[in-house]
Amino acid sequence: MNPTLKAFIKKELIQTLRDVRMRVLLFGAPILQLTIFGLALSSEIKNVKLAVFSQPGDTAAVRLADDFYSSGWFKPAAFSPGEDPFELIGSGRADAVLLMPPGGLSRAAGRGEGKMQLLVDASNATKARVVEAYAKTITARAAAAYGAPAAQGLSFDVRVLYNPAMESALFLVPGVVGMLICLVTIILTAMSLTRERELGTFETIVSAPLSDGEILLGKTLPFVLLGLVVFSLVLTVAHLAFGVPVRGPLWQLFLAAFVFIITTVSVGTSISTLARNQQQAMLGGFMFLFPAILMSGIMYPVENMPPSIIAAAYLDPLMYFMRLLRSIMLKGGDPHVFWTNVGALALMAVVAAGVAYNRFRQTLN
Amino acid sequence: MTGFDLHRAWSVARKEVMHILRDPFTLALALGLPVMLVTFFGYAIDFEVRDIKVAVADRDSGPAARRLKEIFSASGYFRLLETDGNPVEMLDSRRADAALFIEPGFSRDALAGRPARAQFVLDGSDNSKGAVMMGYLPGIQRAAALRLYGSEPAPAPLRLETRFLFNPELNSRWFMVPGLGAIIIGLLAILLTAMTVAREWENGSMELLLSTPVRPLEIIIGKLAPYGLLVLTGVFFVYLSARLVFGVPFLGSHLLFLLACLLFITAALSQGLFISVVTRQQQVAMQVGIISGLLPSMLLSGFIFPVESMPPFFQYFTMLLPPRWFIVAARGSFLKGAGAAELAVPLLALAGLSLLLLTLALKKFKTDLEP
Repeated sequence: MNPTLKAFIKKELIQTLRDVRMRVLLFGAPILQLTIFGLALSSEIKNVKLAVFSQPGDTAAVRLADDFYSSGWFKPAAFSPGEDPFELIGSGRADAVLLMPPGGLSRAAGRGEGKMQLLVDASNATKARVVEAYAKTITARAAAAYGAPAAQGLSFDVRVLYNPAMESALFLVPGVVGMLICLVTIILTAMSLTRERELGTFETIVSAPLSDGEILLGKTLPFVLLGLVVFSLVLTVAHLAFGVPVRGPLWQLFLAAFVFIITTVSVGTSISTLARNQQQAMLGGFMFLFPAILMSGIMYPVENMPPSIIAAAYLDPLMYFMRLLRSIMLKGGDPHVFWTNVGALALMAVVAAGVAYNRFRQTLN
Repeated sequence: MTGFDLHRAWSVARKEVMHILRDPFTLALALGLPVMLVTFFGYAIDFEVRDIKVAVADRDSGPAARRLKEIFSASGYFRLLETDGNPVEMLDSRRADAALFIEPGFSRDALAGRPARAQFVLDGSDNSKGAVMMGYLPGIQRAAALRLYGSEPAPAPLRLETRFLFNPELNSRWFMVPGLGAIIIGLLAILLTAMTVAREWENGSMELLLSTPVRPLEIIIGKLAPYGLLVLTGVFFVYLSARLVFGVPFLGSHLLFLLACLLFITAALSQGLFISVVTRQQQVAMQVGIISGLLPSMLLSGFIFPVESMPPFFQYFTMLLPPRWFIVAARGSFLKGAGAAELAVPLLALAGLSLLLLTLALKKFKTDLEP
């Protein structure tokens, strides 16, 4: 390697890591965030505040209410019996209200008319759907006690592969890892290059005995390295602290990360060539990052989106990286999935690097 | 020299406005980005899963098995893929989301009226999809009771009738759009102020500004007000797109919602200011802004993951995040028609957090000035 280039890369690394705050932010913050999100987030809905309205002395209703509360999904909402159930939900003191039949539950059920009404706060539609499903499960169980015929006919043995307990950490951590890498590489690259131009130190570099390609390499390689270090750190924490498995081979994981980081660093470089100041670079990075995160399938399945947006999602490098992470970590890395997605990412990396190189050369001259 | 002079704050604000107007790219992004993103994602985000690819291993191939497959296809949620190989391999390679195993003897049992079993294996590597798939199975079972056994199951002695309040059709856009607007706008406010003030420090023009007779409080108000106005315009656009494009109802009070917006924007601007005073460098300010703004507001604010489902410690922790309160106020105002009584807690919390962040920023700003 050209010794000037080597010195150049070293200078870039020193410059980025010189600031203590930057070191803490680069290496400490991702770990802290991963820990917080891993501990706090769960896609399981819990602690639904439920108020049960029943006649005084209706012991069957009290028993059913206990079934709800002991399920672990519901907890009692504080209210006084004379209150308006709609008001209770409107004010947010209850998420759901269960209205027992007026004549007493066991009498109504004995006549085969045990109709209960469940009012659900649907201002969060997803949560409302889950609350209804919970309530139906508990009701069905209670109905069996009143001699309901057991579900006749077809039954399913359901088995969940790769994540049998449907643990959220297992599914979220790869997502958070991908998001953090994206943040570190794109925005940092874009801003640091723009900053150099803003300060005028760029001219000094241009006068060094290096070709255009070498300058670009010298400016971007340090960020690729930083990205890989952050990736390894976050991965270690995910594995040790959250027990997220890595069922596939490690080389697959690192090859995927390497190709992905080349793409994002190239995107960052291209953004920097368009931006006139760091604020614009940040906004440009943000404009790329926000859609990339939301379209990647971290939070919503990509297949659900309308066709035009699915088409856009296929241009999202984070989507491929996400698939790779989940496939390698949770499913053991099927070769077909690995090579098609790495291939797609590599193609994007080549295109992005080509665009970055071209734009970069234009700004140099 | 003490006290607050509106004229001096006004001059600072005028200078800031010129700064913003001189940079049309930033202005366009700051105004256009929220609407663009809200519109885009309002369309994109849909929690209903359709077109689930199911690999079928039919080892029975009798008439009842055929009918079961028809029931799956007819539901509109599933697309069946016949396979001779091992369906679980198709799950490994993502060619299928689930697998259905029908063992020999299925048709014999079903046609004789005996209970029949089938195995349904699903990909759990994506929870958001897995849970939805499981939710579709009872519907299949009901259809199977009718079409395989020719009998409607007897009505259960206990039945549940559900009424969904505030969003009877469970339209996910209705609750996503107000939340999404909150996140984008809050983040923009934090980042814009954090970076502009940090830029003044970096360029050394802050010293220049401080050597003028303008007091620190006047500088802060003067610098924040134009951005507040800019972001408020963004809120207005988001409101219009929510109402006109997505038809989200607005049942609450506009005045209270405006108050919530103002408080939330103040909190976000103060957070940005505090970051810029502490970091004094654009790159670091941006990192801190994103770390303290983007991820927590997307993941810990109740936007997607309900706060009540978090462990107790984090339920308290999220109380320190302004977006958490603003999302409550926004959903309340849009969907629930919340009045002053319902919004009192979120509004007070937002006011308290704004005051806290502003005081912190001001204090840090002042101590930095003393030699």
